[in-house]
Amino acid sequence: MTDRRRINGPPGETIPPFFDDADRAPETAKGRFRPSNAIRKMFLKTGVTPSASGSAYLEISTSAKPGASGLKLSCSVHGPRSLPRSAPFSPHLVLTTHVKYAPFATRQRRGYLRDSSERDLSVHLETALRGAIIADRWPKSGVDIIVSILEGDQERETSRSQGDEVWEMMNALSGCITVAAAALADAGIDCVDTVAGGVAALVQDTDGDESQPSIVLDPVPSEHAKILAACCVAYLPTRDEVTNLWFRGDVPASDMELYNSLVEKGIQASRNANRVLVGCLTESVGEGDTS
Amino acid sequence: MSRHQYIRNLDYQDVLDEYEGYSDEEDDELSPEDRELMTQGTAAVQAALGVEASKVTVAQIEEALWHYYYDVDKSVAYLISKFVNPAPKPAKTQPHQRTGKLATRAFSTVDHALLLDHDLPTDWATKTSNLTDAAPPATLGFSSSVGSRCQASSRTGPSLAHLFHDMPWGNVPAHRSTTFVPPLTPRGGLLGGSGTAPKMSKLQALAAARKKKAQEQSAASNAVAEAVVGLNELSVRDAAGGNEGAAAANPPSKRFKTSAATSLGSLPSLLASKSQTAAARPSPGEAPERLPSAPPPTQPAPSPGLRGTPAESCEATATADDATTTAPSSFGDVLSGIRSSARPTTAAAESKPWDRVEIDFDGPLYGVDGRGKAPPEDDRSSLDWFEVRRRKRGDSDLYEDVVVLFPNLPQSARDAFAKPSPDDIVLAAQAKSQTKAGQKTTPASKAKKTAPAAGTGDAKAEEPKAVEAPLPKSRNLDVLSEFEKHKGKKSASFVVVGHVDAGKSTMMGRLLLDLSVVDQRTVEKLRKEAQTIGKSSFALAWVLDQRAEERTRGVTIDIATNRFETDKTIFTVLDAPGHQDFIPNMIAGASQADFAILVIDAGVGAFEAGLKGQTREHSLLIRSMGVSRIIVAVNKLDMVSWSQERFEEIKNQMAGFLSMASFQAKNISFVPVSGLYGDNLVRRSANPAAAWYTGPTLVEELESSEPSARALTNPLRITASEVYRTMQSPVTVAGRVDAGSLQVGDALLVQPSGEKAYVKSLLADDAPAEWAVAGQSVVLHLSHIDPIHVRVGDIICDPAKPVARSDRFTMKALAFDFLTPMQVDVHRGRLHAAGRIDAIPALLDKVTGAVANKKPKIVKPGTVARIVVQLEAPVPLEAGQRVVLRSGGQTVAAGLLE
Repeated sequence: MTDRRRINGPPGETIPPFFDDADRAPETAKGRFRPSNAIRKMFLKTGVTPSASGSAYLEISTSAKPGASGLKLSCSVHGPRSLPRSAPFSPHLVLTTHVKYAPFATRQRRGYLRDSSERDLSVHLETALRGAIIADRWPKSGVDIIVSILEGDQERETSRSQGDEVWEMMNALSGCITVAAAALADAGIDCVDTVAGGVAALVQDTDGDESQPSIVLDPVPSEHAKILAACCVAYLPTRDEVTNLWFRGDVPASDMELYNSLVEKGIQASRNANRVLVGCLTESVGEGDTS
Repeated sequence: MSRHQYIRNLDYQDVLDEYEGYSDEEDDELSPEDRELMTQGTAAVQAALGVEASKVTVAQIEEALWHYYYDVDKSVAYLISKFVNPAPKPAKTQPHQRTGKLATRAFSTVDHALLLDHDLPTDWATKTSNLTDAAPPATLGFSSSVGSRCQASSRTGPSLAHLFHDMPWGNVPAHRSTTFVPPLTPRGGLLGGSGTAPKMSKLQALAAARKKKAQEQSAASNAVAEAVVGLNELSVRDAAGGNEGAAAANPPSKRFKTSAATSLGSLPSLLASKSQTAAARPSPGEAPERLPSAPPPTQPAPSPGLRGTPAESCEATATADDATTTAPSSFGDVLSGIRSSARPTTAAAESKPWDRVEIDFDGPLYGVDGRGKAPPEDDRSSLDWFEVRRRKRGDSDLYEDVVVLFPNLPQSARDAFAKPSPDDIVLAAQAKSQTKAGQKTTPASKAKKTAPAAGTGDAKAEEPKAVEAPLPKSRNLDVLSEFEKHKGKKSASFVVVGHVDAGKSTMMGRLLLDLSVVDQRTVEKLRKEAQTIGKSSFALAWVLDQRAEERTRGVTIDIATNRFETDKTIFTVLDAPGHQDFIPNMIAGASQADFAILVIDAGVGAFEAGLKGQTREHSLLIRSMGVSRIIVAVNKLDMVSWSQERFEEIKNQMAGFLSMASFQAKNISFVPVSGLYGDNLVRRSANPAAAWYTGPTLVEELESSEPSARALTNPLRITASEVYRTMQSPVTVAGRVDAGSLQVGDALLVQPSGEKAYVKSLLADDAPAEWAVAGQSVVLHLSHIDPIHVRVGDIICDPAKPVARSDRFTMKALAFDFLTPMQVDVHRGRLHAAGRIDAIPALLDKVTGAVANKKPKIVKPGTVARIVVQLEAPVPLEAGQRVVLRSGGQTVAAGLLE
């Protein structure tokens, strides 16, 4: 489907190139600054969009210096509202998820219409949230969850190595799940638990086959030489349930243990994210007390 | 206020207060028994350490004892490894095993800790929870690869079956499924409305009943399964029950903003984290690893499997808070607005995330940026809804007390209610107008009682009706002087009569087309339509014959009215039907006409047939209806190639006949025309064969015809020729003003029903007007009358001088046929009534009017007689009116009422 309503730039445009300066020491692969079992720091805040029923903003910064690129997500929840007359009867809450990269969110500029990868993310997000929402409490109603990815967790410096964007998409999905759970809670839509997303990856820190691959939480592609496999998990901590699992990579099928440990690490990352989520919600409840 | 906002503003303090007891128990005050054990243990440890005891403080010993649950040996081992002989790197397996064991113990007890204020010793609960808190630090630095390796060693069979061994595959065990807390707000109703209990729709009620039934069934089936559920589940259910109780204790209007709080698990975890921060507040300098207690306390008994060993999960969740939360970037700062601007961004604050929660609000923030000034605190209670204020009265020294209602509201809000509400204004106005109308009805009904009684005598005294609308206002014009001042065109009406198929309608259609009353397009359309049914020559006639029946049959059935104007006069065309079956309609038309056009078919044989048929009958009828001026249009002369001989022949014959029918010779004129082609109608014939005719065209003849004198000063008489319903009035009457005048607002009397009506508005000659005079065609919009009282043929008259109703009358009749005492139909305009000739008192002389013969048995055709007609029902008739008597489809007599 082509976008006829807006004036689109030429296809395939990118941000301005980042030239290697002779004076500046080329920023080599920076390596991971945090422990392998720690996720990046995140900032989560609910109630950022006044017009929405519920909303949340999530920010994950990659490096210590503020303002550097990271993941910035804004989620708004509209509803529960009655379904349009044309819609068929539904005894459950009809969940609609939209994940959209802002045109400027990634190195490769995005269009205004959702492309297939964004639709894919939407489907993943919907699956993740569907397991958490108590949908039969809202018959004949619909909820729209709209996640805007304002910054897509792509390092500007690494523009020369146009890597596989799937790894960044996994990080984005885990963020989407967490921020959508916060926005759902902000909207007061009943859930069995707060669902949070977590990513674990099997990475190789130095090039070459001799180094031992290791599993890290919350991988940032620019921090590692190579990502062999990754797994994004949406996890309900209280019920000990995984609502969505996305596994990707080149892992020998025989090594079942590796699969297990990747999923476990993903759950661990999700638990860590969930703590931030619960803390944020507690804080917003506390705010409700004072105001 | 949106619901979102409403929920946000709810007071959660009440809800959370109920759990204060729990947080108090978290206090690390030791109970006397613990203190006793602690001192004993400390002494034992110090003894065991011997000289090395100086290297460790009492606090460290106590800490260790606390963690190892007063196990002296373990505490000593720990203290030695930690403080006395700190190894460069502790052995990895040892702490792992230890923590594993401890964690298992911790998890077996953690469910008891859940029993918020149940009968378990609180100190034990505190201890166990502290144990879990303290466990992790040693294992924090675990590398994941190592972790996975050691998992591999600890696991027996790494296979798919093992991977999914605790996967329920749909059969989720009872202990894992959560207990749903019913929603706190009474849902199930329609949104909105007042605070009353919402009404359930039928569908909802049905769904609720069905759900209840299903729950009962499942409860019965689960009863067996529940019997074997162990202690852990019981304790979990207890906790759930506690939660449910707590939820039920909440006021139903309050509702958690976070949905997570409504679910079983997250509620206590939220509370727990809150209580932790509360505990942290008094002593922020305390050891940080104790405070952010790691696992959510409500976590159900973990099963080894997907999530790995308990130690692993414990380690995973033990990651410190400060590793995961961060201050927002400048963008996020702007986006999240007020809250984060109040947050300190020092490094110290960032490193201690629990400090962030400590920031106290000075109260709600005002303004967009949160820096606005709070409105002054209002200490008035809600009971102060009025206030007595003392005000100086005018320029005197007196003071008066003024009661100000709702003084807390701003002046503008109070002003809004100072005046009567718009509803009150409307209601008051309506009440006023009703009383006025009530006063008005009295004189109106009085007038009704007096006026009709004067004339008819049988006009019954009417009940004063409830008048719902005000009477139309009369401007009390002097209509006659208005009429004289009025310099409009004079109006005249003429009827087109003639034998059937003489071409009356076609001629009139051509006339209207040539006068541009109908446009060429309409005629072309009609022509096309006519062609489709094979009657293309009827296209012009269809301009006037608009009914489907008339078009299919090709004859005019009812009179068609149209209007055109020339330079001087507005003409009303009444196209009468020629067929003998529709003579009554023709009579109705002729009674409204000032003069007549008699159309004669000049075709060979057609004229002669007509002379025996309706040409003759129509001529006699229009004459007896009082029409004296007649224009004879000799039509279809194009069929006889404009033969002058034929025209002259017809002219001679018709002149003789018409003079015999007592038309004066000066009132008769002859015009040779072609209705189909329009020769000599509006324009002169361009046909050279018709050049012999130099007289006036038909329209010129019409213009030269003076309408008969109007009976302007006579009492009002209107014959209703049509009654229908319009937007302006349910009773709309169309007719011709036979005599008199009227104006808007006049009261009228409808005869024979005797009902009174008022003129709401009127159209004179199709134009809105204030008044109308005799001779005009009017459309009256009547009010204050029921439609059943007005029928076609009724006489509308002046209530002061009403037309009499009578079922017996005497008339001077010109007989067209033999008259004997017989059944006749009396026609007067649209009105026709059945009756019989009751008596023939006298035979009169045709010229002098003297009685020639008394009580004749029979009246011969062509003679004049005085007859008495008895009607079956009273009809409004009065002297001087012309009526037609018909019998058996034939006109038998016409005459004047005496």
